[in-house]
Amino acid sequence: MCGIAGLALKDPALESNLGAMLSGMLTALSERGPDSAGVAIYSHPSELAVTKDVGHAAHICEKFAIPRANGYQGVGHTRMATESAVTKEHCHPFVPAGGVCVVHNGSFSNHATIRRELIRQGIGFDSDNDSEVAARYIALRLSHGDDLKNALQAMAATMDGFYTLLVTTPTEFAVARDPIACKPAVIAQTDRYVAMASEYRALADLPAVKDAKVFEPTGVHTWTL
Amino acid sequence: MTTLDAARLTTREINTRLRELQDGAHVTITDPRGRHNLAVGLMNKISITIDGNAGYYAGGLGDGPDITVNGFTGWGVGENLMSGTIRIKGSVSQSAAASAHGGIVIVEGDASLRAGISLKGGTLAIAGDAGNLTGFMAQAGTILIGGNAGEALGDSLYEATIYVAGDIENLGADAMRTDLTEDDVTAVKQLCAQVGFEHISPQEVTKVTSARRLYHFTTQHASAY
Repeated sequence: MCGIAGLALKDPALESNLGAMLSGMLTALSERGPDSAGVAIYSHPSELAVTKDVGHAAHICEKFAIPRANGYQGVGHTRMATESAVTKEHCHPFVPAGGVCVVHNGSFSNHATIRRELIRQGIGFDSDNDSEVAARYIALRLSHGDDLKNALQAMAATMDGFYTLLVTTPTEFAVARDPIACKPAVIAQTDRYVAMASEYRALADLPAVKDAKVFEPTGVHTWTL
Repeated sequence: MTTLDAARLTTREINTRLRELQDGAHVTITDPRGRHNLAVGLMNKISITIDGNAGYYAGGLGDGPDITVNGFTGWGVGENLMSGTIRIKGSVSQSAAASAHGGIVIVEGDASLRAGISLKGGTLAIAGDAGNLTGFMAQAGTILIGGNAGEALGDSLYEATIYVAGDIENLGADAMRTDLTEDDVTAVKQLCAQVGFEHISPQEVTKVTSARRLYHFTTQHASAY
């Protein structure tokens, strides 16, 4: 079990609240991932700030002043480790290439095989985390010219396991799930933002969420900012 | 009319108050904020409105109440329902009406994966589309899908009946299309009238039942496994 929260803003008026909204979402998911947490904030003109650490989501958000952060897109993750150690290096988000963030809830069963293939292609790794393999694979596909949707579909065809992935670039926000879809995901979509979380509870404080289109995504969904 | 404010009460307090109400009472739960386990395990004949989006297992194990959810629900709405009605005005996440023995779950939006899994005699009516593996291992009861059905519809189906007004992506193992009888048309017509679905033509639905090859094992069918 892990928790995922993501927020892509369409309304610039919300940008000064991004950090506060994301911190609230992430803290609501701390029961899904009590051992570590991480946050990535995209802000103008082209900045990506990633912070992650071992500990409770609320403490980590406070430690890194996330509630006061401005930005137009944010990603958060609370981790309950199942595949590898609880260290800062094993925390999400993974940033496998400039501007690309990947967070994952689930487990990949063929990550060791894919990691060996990627290492043979000269790809380096920071950890033995299975999620990092998916992140590196997606980044490799993007570097070969795939758009994000195609890269995620290629990942789905290559990586075996259970996953809900939230993948962001400076201009895109994407959710990918395996066909069994046992790792949760809920989307709330309004004219002002697209939000994704593992559970609706994490979306409950977003502005005018009662009027949002709320649904469960399956397969690969992408939004362009 | 009683009002219970979920922002001020714990789930246990809400469910205890609901259990204490006399038959015929009307109650509204406000500000549910995706809370899990609302209105579960109730046996009194009361009318409950959950005014917003609910979390997991809303109305589960119910044996009496009629529940309306003015929004989306998370996993397992109406799981193990025994009697009564649950109407969801929005879409629902996975495993709606799982193992429901009786009663009726009405989804006005779409249902995600595995709706009606292991259904044991209850009725599930979905106005919109249904995700993959709808009716998985359903043993008894009726599933009506007003939109399209996803992959592996009725996989490993026992004796439940599935009616689909739209397209079926594909059938699961041991599920088959069956000729529609006059009794089926009458049953679909009555169900549509009962739940208020006006977009379905009862004469034009597709009926799916079990081919009964999986659970009546004979050595001649060994190659099917």
